[in-house]
Amino acid sequence: MPKSSFYDEEFYPSPVRQTWNEFQRNHIALAGLWCLGFFVLLVLLGPWFLPFGPLDQNTDAILLPPAWDANGDVTHLFGTDGIGRDLLTRVVHGCQITFGVSFFLVLLAMLVGCSIGAYAGMSHGLRASIINHLLDAIMAIPTLLIAIIIVAILGTGLMNSMWAITLALIPQFIHHTRDMVRGEYRKEYVTAARLDGASDARIFFHSILPNMIEMLVVKATMALSVAILDISALGFLNLGAQSPSPELGAMLSDALETAYVAPWSISLPGAAIFLMVLSINLVGDGLRTALKNRVNQ
Amino acid sequence: MFVYLGRRLNLLFITLLILCIASYTLAFLFPGDPLTNLSGNPTTSDDQTQQLRMMYALDNGYIAGFWQYLKLTLSGEWGQSLTSQNPIFSDICQFLPASLELSLYAMAVSLLIGIPLGIVAGLNHRRYTDMGILSVSLIGFSMPVFWLALLLILVFALQWGGLPMSGRVSLIYDIPHQTGFMLVDILRADIANKQQVLMDALHHLFLPTLALSIVTSSLVIRLTRRSVINVMGSDYIKAAYAKGLSRTQVFWHHGMKNALLPIMPQLAMQFTVLLTNAMIVEVIFSWPGIGEWMIQAIYQRDFPAIRGGMLAVSALVVIVTISVDLLIRMIYPLSKKQLHAQV
Repeated sequence: MPKSSFYDEEFYPSPVRQTWNEFQRNHIALAGLWCLGFFVLLVLLGPWFLPFGPLDQNTDAILLPPAWDANGDVTHLFGTDGIGRDLLTRVVHGCQITFGVSFFLVLLAMLVGCSIGAYAGMSHGLRASIINHLLDAIMAIPTLLIAIIIVAILGTGLMNSMWAITLALIPQFIHHTRDMVRGEYRKEYVTAARLDGASDARIFFHSILPNMIEMLVVKATMALSVAILDISALGFLNLGAQSPSPELGAMLSDALETAYVAPWSISLPGAAIFLMVLSINLVGDGLRTALKNRVNQ
Repeated sequence: MFVYLGRRLNLLFITLLILCIASYTLAFLFPGDPLTNLSGNPTTSDDQTQQLRMMYALDNGYIAGFWQYLKLTLSGEWGQSLTSQNPIFSDICQFLPASLELSLYAMAVSLLIGIPLGIVAGLNHRRYTDMGILSVSLIGFSMPVFWLALLLILVFALQWGGLPMSGRVSLIYDIPHQTGFMLVDILRADIANKQQVLMDALHHLFLPTLALSIVTSSLVIRLTRRSVINVMGSDYIKAAYAKGLSRTQVFWHHGMKNALLPIMPQLAMQFTVLLTNAMIVEVIFSWPGIGEWMIQAIYQRDFPAIRGGMLAVSALVVIVTISVDLLIRMIYPLSKKQLHAQV
């Protein structure tokens, strides 16, 4: 038997590798990933490189325009707000709060949602039917509305708004996990595992979960963009983070009073939210397309 | 079909019941006296308190109390606001139409913009037109609605000065409240310079509608585009081309219906998202709608009003969702195959 040529051997990339290759072909999504990476670095390292604190006031430079303006000064790159706080510092700290908080929210919501969803997907009968019907009704209510209602009950504050958004995000994860588990449960490899005597928990963790993880990542990126928009919206409405806190939405509502004389104090924090959400959406879209292409191959 | 109808009506009924239970329970969970939270009447005399306790059947246990509450809610007795002492139900009847008006116009605008653009993008899949429309919609989709509204105010109201930035109609006009829909009210009102007032109201509508519809139409574009791409790649479209039909014939006779009907429920769902966004936009534009009213109630810890507002808005959202779902099941034959609950 001739020895097979080592160099001609066909190379089969792993599923994750395939997804990554597909993802790389989409240049816009890749740009989004770079942008997201930049924000992650900014959130992790940014505050250490800044000379000012988020609450420090420089009374000599109130309502200073950004550095690129004729009246601007380079010590305050993004200018200052109505009581002389450095806007760049506040935007970086704001990204830290808004992005960091949203990230943990989504993680928590995903954990809880997946556990309930897996249970609902694998159980049958009346209980499952009740969960499903109720979920369908709750899913129809937008997350922000649920969050506003929960904040109305719990009272305002960043902590309460975090709980509110977590609770509001959970139904989506339950819904998607349940559908996915339902779909996979009927497939033959799961039947094979069941015939081998695997318990439900083993089937879930060893057979279904590995197939589900990429879908979950896509859903998590979508939930992340929703969470960022919601938490800043609550901050903006003064229902979430309260005034001196540099949360991006709360900063925007602070800047309302000086909007006419200092339009930059509105446009810059808003642009930070916008860029964050845009990059997350780009990555999410790219991932989803990559996954779909891989499955269709 | 009747089974399905029954099932959905059942779901509607149960969800509304749960909402009522939730709002009743809230009266006990909120800080303060449950009686005050229910009635919104900070009673001073023992006599009055006794009367109110009788009215809400508070001494007869929770079940009887809830039954009584349900009866009162259905008859429109939603208690009073703690701050203004107005009856909550009439307040809601006054403010909800303003929000609905704004959302309906924004919905109409976003469907009118979104569906054609989505179809164009879907038909030119992977060409520059598609990429252009897709990027614009991604930008619109990522825009926080409150920031967008503020930018619009900065540009159109403050810099340019051509458009008003708050309210529904200029304060110099006095429009009697009839239906709550401003444009309808103006048309029905008995005033001298109708044309002028109407133009003024439209000017006031412009910015909030624009802010809302930019976000929603980008969602509509994405939904439509995806559906058109899926349909145009399917086998019956290939068969239609093979028959020798032209591009326009294929699209208008085979593509259009099949692409648009399945996404109708999702398009209609955007209305609830729109209503939530409208609540934020109302705060920015001082639009006297339910969002502005409810957020004021949250600031002032006006518990009866929060309860009422929550009940009204969530009931509205659930009713809209379920009735749209039913309507579409009736029109769209393919969905009859999957009669089980799916959203």
